Amino acid sequence: MKADKNKYQSRRDFVKSAGKLIVVLPLVVVPALLIKKTSVKGYVWQIDPFKCTQCGQCKTNCVLTPSASKCVHAFRMCGYCDLCGGYLRQGVKSISTAAENQLCPTGAITRKFVEEPYFEYTINEKLCDGCAKCVKGCGDFGNGSLYMQIRHDRCVNCNECSIARTCPSNAISRIPASIAYLPKDRK
Amino acid sequence: MKKALPYIIFILLLFWHVAILSQDRFPRPEFESGHVYPTNQMPVPRAPVWGYIDLAVLLGALTVTTWLALKKRSRQGLVWMSLFSLAYFGFYREGCICAVGSVQNVSLALFNTGYSIPLTALMFFIIPLLFALAYGRVFCAGVCPLGAIQELTGIRPVKIPKLVEILLAFVPFIYLAIAILFSSTNSQFIICRYDPFVGIFRLDAPYTMIIFGALLLFAGVFVNRPYCRFLCPYGVLLNIFSRFAGKHLTITPAECTNCRLCEEACPYNAIIPSNIEQKQEEQDKSRKRFILYFVFVPVFALAGALLLYNMAPVLSGANSNVRLAREIRAEKKSGIESTLKDVIAYKESGKTETELYNEEELIIGRFRNGSPWAGAFLGISFGIGMISLTIKSRRSEYKPNQGKCYSCGRCFKYCPIKVKS
Amino acid sequence: MKFNFNEKDISILKVVSQISGGFALIVALTMIFSLIQLKTVNPLDNPVLLSVKEQYDKDPSDAAKAEQVRAMDLMARKAYFSSRWQVETGSYLLIAGVIIFIICQRIIAENEKLKPVVRDTKPDSAINRGKYRRYLLSAAAFILTAAVVSSFFLRSELPDISGKAPGLSKKEENRKEKASAPDKTNWPSFRGQDSRGSAGGKGYPTEWDAASGKNISWKLEIPKKGKSSPVIWGDKLFITGAQDKICEVYCIDKKSGKILWTGSASDIPGEPAVLPKTDPEAGLAVSTMATNGKVVCAIFSNGNLVCFDLDGKKKWMKNIGVPESSYGYTSSLLIYNELLLVQFDSNAKISLLGIDLESGDQKWETIRHGRAVWSSPVLANFKGKPEIVINGNPYVSGYDPLTGNLLWEVECMSGDVAPSVAVNSTMAYAVTDYAKLVAIKPDNGVSVVWEDNTYTPDVSSPVATDQYLFVSTGNGDVACYNAIKGDTLWTHYFQDPFYASPLIAEDMVYLLDRSGKTHIVKVGATFKLIAESALGEAADCSPAFSDSKIYIRGKKNLYCISKN
Repeated sequence: MKADKNKYQSRRDFVKSAGKLIVVLPLVVVPALLIKKTSVKGYVWQIDPFKCTQCGQCKTNCVLTPSASKCVHAFRMCGYCDLCGGYLRQGVKSISTAAENQLCPTGAITRKFVEEPYFEYTINEKLCDGCAKCVKGCGDFGNGSLYMQIRHDRCVNCNECSIARTCPSNAISRIPASIAYLPKDRK
Repeated sequence: MKKALPYIIFILLLFWHVAILSQDRFPRPEFESGHVYPTNQMPVPRAPVWGYIDLAVLLGALTVTTWLALKKRSRQGLVWMSLFSLAYFGFYREGCICAVGSVQNVSLALFNTGYSIPLTALMFFIIPLLFALAYGRVFCAGVCPLGAIQELTGIRPVKIPKLVEILLAFVPFIYLAIAILFSSTNSQFIICRYDPFVGIFRLDAPYTMIIFGALLLFAGVFVNRPYCRFLCPYGVLLNIFSRFAGKHLTITPAECTNCRLCEEACPYNAIIPSNIEQKQEEQDKSRKRFILYFVFVPVFALAGALLLYNMAPVLSGANSNVRLAREIRAEKKSGIESTLKDVIAYKESGKTETELYNEEELIIGRFRNGSPWAGAFLGISFGIGMISLTIKSRRSEYKPNQGKCYSCGRCFKYCPIKVKS
Repeated sequence: MKFNFNEKDISILKVVSQISGGFALIVALTMIFSLIQLKTVNPLDNPVLLSVKEQYDKDPSDAAKAEQVRAMDLMARKAYFSSRWQVETGSYLLIAGVIIFIICQRIIAENEKLKPVVRDTKPDSAINRGKYRRYLLSAAAFILTAAVVSSFFLRSELPDISGKAPGLSKKEENRKEKASAPDKTNWPSFRGQDSRGSAGGKGYPTEWDAASGKNISWKLEIPKKGKSSPVIWGDKLFITGAQDKICEVYCIDKKSGKILWTGSASDIPGEPAVLPKTDPEAGLAVSTMATNGKVVCAIFSNGNLVCFDLDGKKKWMKNIGVPESSYGYTSSLLIYNELLLVQFDSNAKISLLGIDLESGDQKWETIRHGRAVWSSPVLANFKGKPEIVINGNPYVSGYDPLTGNLLWEVECMSGDVAPSVAVNSTMAYAVTDYAKLVAIKPDNGVSVVWEDNTYTPDVSSPVATDQYLFVSTGNGDVACYNAIKGDTLWTHYFQDPFYASPLIAEDMVYLLDRSGKTHIVKVGATFKLIAESALGEAADCSPAFSDSKIYIRGKKNLYCISKN
């Protein structure tokens, strides 16, 4: 009886150790297969401003409220125009900082007179909610110096970015964390 | 002269091209007052070293949990461990990256070029599995933040009918198969998208996810660990690996005396009672049944493969390119212009229809290649599940089911045996 | 770490948990309410605000309306930011309340005395297993039948991707076409199959003399003049001719030399009233046709594009715009799968068009960079991938034939670019007079492998095999290069200039000079002249080869040459 039990036990142990070996195999094979495809550096999500079509989904599709993607101004590309396509609504009759003329729904762009005839436009990050209306206006009527970027002080770096998943022009992709941003005036 | 004319025209055209290339509608200002361009200070992302610190914390937490569950056998300790993991991996790290989602990263990396899996993600995938292979599901016990939040809110356990449990136990397999299929075809990360608790960790989520998470937690007060038992895809892997663990949590610190006091201890029904005194079924009948189900496993595998192969075009709808192609086709058929942003962006991009349809075919092809494997996996799992309902082993002690036991230690206080220290 | 709670503590804890639970519930309800408000009212895109703005727009000078807009805008912004703040603080409060509630509940639950329950009968895990198995099997069977049945219903909803959609490749493998050896019967476009300059089959004549009629099978005077080369499919030969504005397509029986049908390519809507500038000797019929055995297409220098089936029925016709350039339009057509590829070069715009053969609709247009040229597209096949290679100014570029996407380009040409590229299985060779000869290898990007500028034709296109490259110039020089390295293997000076492109058949190169004499040279590393045969008439058009016969278009007549 005991001999039977022992045989049973040892058979069980054998099955167990055999199973262990089989099961360990993928744990060894998978990292081996992935050796070339593993990176030590981290990756973050970023919008390619040249692919962006300013659809406005950056504001609504981020898991965070307010969105982690906000407008950034590439000053070196800006024309410093009086009639700014990103600051002013389409079809304004007078050019001023009045609320009825502003394009930005949250009033996040400030306009400052520099010298004749140049005005400087700055984005107030705290107020910007990433709706991309100014980006579209600047791109359509100006030099395109306003562009969307994901800010990494807010972005939680999801495994799969919700905005990237739904971006109609596939403009968001993973880039090395050492680069982190894709500025429009990177040259 | 006629020969030189092309060159003159060419030089003129060259200048014209240069003007076009600079692309600025409005020329850049020349400031007379010496105004300096302001610089943009962009915030730096989290340094990669913190990812490795997370790994170190993971290792440390796993080690401590193993010690608490197997050696020290302290339920209180495991609760504190859960609390720590909830605070660190849950609220501090906001639930990402987690081992449950890492399955998708691995499958994306295995089947696609152009994606390198971060080392931290790979390690998050492998290390809990290694611990499971050695010590059982200690990851679930005190390290996984999703498990922790369910463990800590599982206050009034209620038993559910065995049949329901068995039926629902298949859902994680289906979830795992679909998740790997979707992530390997670069379509979606559904585990991350439908993670019910990450919204609570972030304190920010679409309200549908918050409601789902809250409802699940509320249900979890009574049916403990609902996500772990009936949804978690990583749990399938942990289940398999844990079954082969040499050292696993035991209910009793020493020998089991069959006092039967722990029968109702486990809210997850993971305790297998001894059955040495029960009547054994005839060897012949049980052996015949076992062989029958064993032979049926490949049949189930084939059926599953066929089923999922047929479903491949439907499943491929998870991919945004496929959806776009279908939308364009529908638009052409119905004549009504689509207002979807994707369609508008596609039209602006100048991509041709042939290109789009070729891409769609490629993706559907990939789904057709991958889904039979997913189906076969489901069929084999089903077959093995059926087999496990036929085999009956002789047990002389009360032991936890190594696949199902989360090593949470609730059963410790039910066992009257004390070891003299 | 066990705290001992007595009755009083437990009751306190119960009260605390009730308060915190209630508090959390209230906060949750408030948040849900404000979230619903946010979604429905949507302060920033509020329709009320928008309508106020619209009213202001109608009369911008009205200060009162402006004030209204400002006030509403401010309210909207305040509402938006305050609701955001509400949600944020609300979530913190909610979490705090829930945590306190849970902690209290846990302590209460844990402090309840343990009552170990021992049931009367020991639970037998084996009981009901049979029942479970049956349930599982029936559930699985149900799912399986449901899936099988539904797959029949779903099939009709799925797109027909085994598609009749034009230009759609059936499988990924179709794209990896192997470069097939040229057909011995069909000569479907300018310079043969894929415009590569190679003929299939053997038994081609090397000696003939038009004056004496030796090996001349038939001779036909083409009704109208032109400089296009003949194309052949099966037993039918197609050629174009034009006189002033009248453009015609002729189908000739290649065995007898009789015209089977004449198709008109004039009076097409959109056709220009004034003829574009062309070589007066050539007229409008300069571009060579293209056929695929089902249809045959022709294009004329006024932009008229027609498509007939092989029996002469006109399928469609259109005018794609007048390609005005200094020498007039000369690019020949090419057919790939179900697409007609047109290299459109005019001073205003240069592009590559993909036109659906069935309907004549333009499927795509790829705008090319550079100036107008007079070369024709060539279909190459590098590493199983088909590419259209165009000799341009200044770019030599490769395009995907199905989509028109630019695959690569090399900036290397200049001047009046008329010769088309020569291709072999790995490289493309582009050349222009007063510029240079460039050997390009498109492979993981594109690179220039070698260059030479000693022998450069102005009209005649070179021809290449995997080992040799043959060039015939407007001076009368013929050169043979090592196709891979670029060293000149041999050269020979013939008296008359070459306009027609050299063609390779059966290991021999056929070089037709402007006087009508064909010099036949062996394909090899040393110069070996096999024969020289005269046509008796000036000839500028590259011949066509089919079924051991050669078809040459002279200034007036079309000759069929075969070994009798």
